[in-house]
Formats: sequence, C-alpha cells, structure tokens
Amino acid sequence: MSRRPPRGEYIETDTGNKVARKATLVGTQNIMLGGKTVIQPDVMIRGDLTRTVHAAAPQPASQSATGAPPNNTAVSIGRYCFLSRGCCLRPPGRLYKGVFTYMPLRMGDHVFVGPGSVVQAASIGSHVHIGAQAVVGEFAIIKDYVRILDGAVVPPNMVIPSFSIVAGQPARLIGEVPEGGLEAFELRDLYKTVGNNPQPVPP
Amino acid sequence: MAALTPYTYIRCPCSDVSAPGRPLDGSSPMAAAADDNGAGDDDDRTFDPRAPRSNYSLYPLEYLLYCEDCHQIRCPRCVAEEIVSYYCPNCLFEVPSSNLKSEGNRCTRSCFQCPVCLGPLAVTSLETKPDPSLLAAPDNAAAPHAGPYALTCSYCHWTSAEVGIQFEKPNGIHAQLAKLRNGGATRLTAKERKERRKDPAYRTQAAAAPAPATAGGEEGGPSSSAEVLDLETQFANLKAFYQGQLADPNSADSGLAALSDLGFSSPTSLSRIMSIYTGGGWQDKKAKSRVGAMREALEPDEGLQPARLDESAAIDRLRSEGHGATASAAQLRDQPPNLGEAHLHGRARFASELRPIPYLLRTKRSKRCPVCRHIISKPEAKVQTTRFRIRLVAGSYIPSIAVRPLPLSSSSSSGSGGSASGPAVVPGALLEPLRPAHYLLTFKNPIFEPVRVTLGAPARTPGRFASKVTVLCPEFEIDANTDVWDEALKESGERDRDKDRRRRRGEEGGGQSSSNNPHHSQLEVGKIWERGRNWVSIVVEVVPASLRLAPGDPPLREDEDVLEIPMFVRVEWEGEAGGDDVGAAAGRDAAKEAREKRELAYWCVLGLGRIKQT
Repeated sequence: MSRRPPRGEYIETDTGNKVARKATLVGTQNIMLGGKTVIQPDVMIRGDLTRTVHAAAPQPASQSATGAPPNNTAVSIGRYCFLSRGCCLRPPGRLYKGVFTYMPLRMGDHVFVGPGSVVQAASIGSHVHIGAQAVVGEFAIIKDYVRILDGAVVPPNMVIPSFSIVAGQPARLIGEVPEGGLEAFELRDLYKTVGNNPQPVPP
Repeated sequence: MAALTPYTYIRCPCSDVSAPGRPLDGSSPMAAAADDNGAGDDDDRTFDPRAPRSNYSLYPLEYLLYCEDCHQIRCPRCVAEEIVSYYCPNCLFEVPSSNLKSEGNRCTRSCFQCPVCLGPLAVTSLETKPDPSLLAAPDNAAAPHAGPYALTCSYCHWTSAEVGIQFEKPNGIHAQLAKLRNGGATRLTAKERKERRKDPAYRTQAAAAPAPATAGGEEGGPSSSAEVLDLETQFANLKAFYQGQLADPNSADSGLAALSDLGFSSPTSLSRIMSIYTGGGWQDKKAKSRVGAMREALEPDEGLQPARLDESAAIDRLRSEGHGATASAAQLRDQPPNLGEAHLHGRARFASELRPIPYLLRTKRSKRCPVCRHIISKPEAKVQTTRFRIRLVAGSYIPSIAVRPLPLSSSSSSGSGGSASGPAVVPGALLEPLRPAHYLLTFKNPIFEPVRVTLGAPARTPGRFASKVTVLCPEFEIDANTDVWDEALKESGERDRDKDRRRRRGEEGGGQSSSNNPHHSQLEVGKIWERGRNWVSIVVEVVPASLRLAPGDPPLREDEDVLEIPMFVRVEWEGEAGGDDVGAAAGRDAAKEAREKRELAYWCVLGLGRIKQT
C-alpha cells in the first residue's frame, strides 16, 4: 500500500473553487461557479435540469436567426459559497404555459448550505446560512442575511425577507438577525479551512 | 441530553440601574471571595446568572449595540426603537404609513398565509384540466387559466375552496376576499345594508326564510331565532338606531333623570361610548345637555340580536367530524379579525371557518440610545437594501470572548494520578464531576488601541451546586487591532510561525509536557496561554460540582446542570480625548497627545457545558 497520497481530495480551480472529487455534478456545463466556492464530497448539483421553455419566447425568431445559444445555466453560484457534504442543489420546475420546465437556481455570495440539505429555491441572496437537513422548497426566494435553522422545511414559493431567522416545518419566522450578527455570515475563513492543504481555524 | 456548545453571554448594564437600592438577594458570603477588581464596581455582589432576573439581561455579543457618546453597552431591551419603514414580507413592497392607518397592518396585495400551516398561499385556477390545444401552441396562451380561482397552500394542500371561498379574478385577492364570507356568501357592503334596511320587501323575506322565525323579534325570546345578523350588520344597525335616538327629542321622557345619567340608556354615556367606537364623530353637544333615558333596541333592524344558545348543531358536528375538524388555539390566534363573521355565541371553532391570513407587515427599525437619544443603528429605508447608515454594534468595541475546551488531561496541572489519559475532548461532552477541566478563553480585541483586560470570577459559582473556578491569568493586555491591509501584508510572514506553533501544541495534546516549549504545555498561574496579533488566550480551570442530591433536596431544575461562570470583565484603554469615534482608524494619528483613559466594565456569563449526572 503506497503511502503517497495520489491526489488531493479536492480539485482546486484557477478561480479558487474547491470541488471534491467525490461530489456528483450532473450537467457541469450548466453549472456556474463564481469562484472560491467549496463543494464537499457527496454533494449533488443537478445541472442537467435546464430550461426547456425559454423566457425569451416573444422574439424566438430573432434569437434563432442569430444562432446564439440560449443561456442554459441551471445552477449559478456566487463566490465563497460552501456546499456541505451530502447536500443537493436542484433547479425548481413547474408548468409554464402548459409545458413543464425547469427554472435556474441562483445563489449569491457567502451562502452556506448545511449537510444533507436539499435546495430547490429560485433564488438565494448573499450571506445566507442554511442549516443541516433543511429543505428549501421549489421557487422559494431567500433574500440576503437569512438564517435557516437545522431541519427547517421552507415551503414552496415562500419569500424570506432579509434579516430573517426561520425554522420549523413548515418554516416560519422565528426571529431577526441582530445588527451585530452580520459578520457571522462571512465564509472567507471557512473557505480556507478546507481543501487539499487546509489551514487551521483562526481563534 | 442535548449537547451544549460553550457560549458567552454579556450582561447589559441597563438592568443595573436599580441595583443600589435593592437588597442583596441571597448573595452568599462566598461572593466575597471573588476578587479584587470586581468589588469596586459592583458593590461586592457577584452576579448570579441563575437568578430569574438574569434571563432578561444576558445577551450574546451580536445582539448588543454600543453607544459612542455614553460609552456604554446597549441591549435590545434598553434601546428605543423607531420604525423606518413598513413592508410586506411576501411581496417585499413598502407600505407607506398613510396606508397603514386606513388599511391596517396587513398586506393588501395578494399575499396570504395558509390558516392551517402558515405557509404561503398561491392563486391557482380551480379548472384543473388545461386545454390540450394550449400544449401544442404555448405562444398564444394569453389566458390559459380561466374560471374561478382559489388560494392554495403548496405545503399542506389546504385550499380556500374548502371553505367555499373562490375568486373570479386572479388579482386583487385582498379586495375580493373582503367581500366574501366563508361558504361563498358575499358580505354586505355598507350601501347594500342601508338599502336592505329601507326595503320592506327584503325584511319580510328575510324573516320568512328561517323557517320557524316569528316576524319581528319584539318578544325577544331566545327561541325565536330572528334574522341572524353578522357582527358588522348588527353594529351598523345599532349605530343607526342610537343615532336616531340621540337625534330624537322625544326620547327624553323618563322621570328618573338623575339616575339614568349613569346607565347605558342615558344619552350622555351613550354618546361617550359611541365616540369611543366610532372615532369621536358622535360627540353631540346637544345630546350632552339633555338628560333622560332612551329605550333600547327592540328588533333586528335596530340591532337587537338575541344570543343563540342552542349548540346542538355544533355538538352534532363535533360528533360526526371529531376533534380533528376543530381549529387549534394557535390557528385561531393567527386569524385576523373578521367583521363579516357571525356572532361568537352558538358557534364552534371549526377548521372550516378559518380564512386565509393576509401577511402581517414587517418593519425596518432604527435604534436610539435611551440616555443620550443618539441613533445607534439605522438601516436604509429601502426594503431591498441590507445596508445600514449607522450600525454601532458592541462587537466592534468590546473584546469578544470565545470559549473552547482545552485538550489537556487533568493530570498535567494538578499532578494527581494518571488515570485520565487525555481523553479526546468532544465538543459538547459532559463534564465529569469533581474532576478538573480546562477551558481556553480567547479574547479578541476589535479596537485599534491596545486594551488591558482584568477579569474577576468568583472562586465558586453561585447556585446550589458550586463549582470551583480558577482564572489562571486574570490580568493581561491585548494588542491593538490593525487594518485589514496591515494584516494582509504581515500575514505571509506570520502565518508560518503561527502554524508551527499550533502544530506543536497539537502534538502535546495528551498533556506530556515537552521540554522545548514549556510555555504552552504547562499551565502556569499568571501566564497567558497563547497570544496573537489582536487576541489572547487564557486558561480557566474548573472543578465541576457533583450533582448528587441529598435525600431531602428538590430535584434538579431545568438547566441546573449547566456549568455557568459569572465573570466580571474590565477593559481599559487609551482613546483620544473627547473623540466620539473610538473605533475609527482615522483618529489614530490625529491628536496623539490628547489621550484619555477609558474604561468599560461589565458582567458576562460563560456557559461551559453540562455536568454529568451520577
């Protein structure tokens, strides 16, 4: 048995993304990572669930004429996001003008997704903390500085305004993020603690 | 038992104002053994984190604000809040405060919550089958849905059609709902009500409709279930009746003038009561001068509504549908007041009576210091922005305290037997009673001046189970915080050294002291454990008390097994004199000579963990 660690656990890209080799990314061409994002093992991102009906329906002729490929991004993730082990990002889908289609899942910066959570939101703002084993229903809209506690089930179509703390099944507002709690959403330090040569947690 | 992560709560000094006048409540003499510095500032009293009062004064650091003018911590309890803007949490539209007066504190767009589970409701077409031709041509689907709409909850699948509420249009739901009663009957508008009252044809018809009803209601017997009025109609009828009574000069025909001035039937009290309910519009000068009694309402037209005490229908329904069909107290509490409803008497609280709840508005609030009235937190008024114009949080003025168990066996400091073979410290593990444990307190200095910290903790924690506490280094200095850029430039050099030190410490974790680094492996009284750029770690040794109860003792109360240490923290630093912005980096170079000693002292509570019950 060779003692040589053959490869790191993570693939580190030029833009600083750290993607675990054991993560399951489906349809990678439809997944946009903003950089410095950590994707831990056993994470699943369903990039294959792209739109089948395009919102640009009013002028389909002009689009097909130019031949520009339609924007097929299924999942777009900002900077310093942290996808914990075993979580799943899945674009939401619904009937649109009689046809079932998926819609892109957008995620801002500094979003933490806890282990075992399933996220099907339409959009997630920046500085959002989603706890472990949480479920974010389809087409939920989560604004900035939101904390979703462990085990919460955010119902579909729910809008969670900024500075909310939600919990429960179904998730409901249980508190507000205090003024002094904004810095806790920063994930820069957490980003440094994982990867192929992780650094210790600063005191 | 739930694991407990170590925590630090800070006591806001606002609860201290009444302290001098208050008698010492059970403050045990052991508090006297506390320390030198805590004594001067806090009247020799050890703060007891378990006192019922303490629940209201302890806050995590994030919840605290700081007033730069008073140089004092401010907590959510003592700040004065002012509403900057109102908005709906669902559609995120700002609601002007003028609307608030007319429309109430709920969203008047189509934002509704499920009355059963509080999930958001969506407008859906009740026509489930989409036209197959639309599938083929999605482009010309101008109106794919038609017909009645209902609000449905996608979480619990409640739908407003269940309670008979359907809408004709998919927009303007709030206005449509206001006109609908449960069961689909339309609610009368004020105009319709007036017309009906005038129309004698309707009256006879309505009286005839409930089968056994006698025509009027003059007899007033409860058996004659006359016309059933809803709250709103009854109020309108009563109002009209009393208005007429007040205007009618012939009503003053009673001989008991002196007495009746106090009763309900006197015009004076009547006009007073009506002015309460109708907003002062009924303060009739003429009526005031008049004395005499008026007759009461005698028929439904005048607002008489006999109470219906026959509950057999509700009982039958309970029998057939069971307890599950009733609404819970929480669901009823969330219901907005609905004036179109029937009377409460004779009515059971069934789930079928729940109505969609319009979203309550949320607010953005600014906060003021209660003493000097300066604003200490002010968010931008716009709903979508998350920036703050002013945000003076305590975290940028007072040192943060992080608590961490120290992976060190008990044998290394006490020198007693090697039974403890350095157990791996699991976060949230239970504390062994009567066995010394060590915790690392890391103080991080957020301000740009070096600060001097003095700690004081009672040697024994207050409460029934007194654990021994020793702060190994109660006095130390923390270097100043530096700018982010300084940090970034320095970091490269410092990091290697830092890492090296850490690794070495990790190896020594078992407590075997290595010779090359005595400072970090040995617990020495008066020595700092570790220090960094703007932080210092010190060690606290605790000997948890045994939770064994004597035969006669009351059982353990909730969370009585949590080891909490009250600690008095005094922070001293030199700020620029008169400068109100202590934390500002710009002020550093200006007016160096005009320094001023600053001091801040407060109690905090360190929650270390739960003690194992034997």
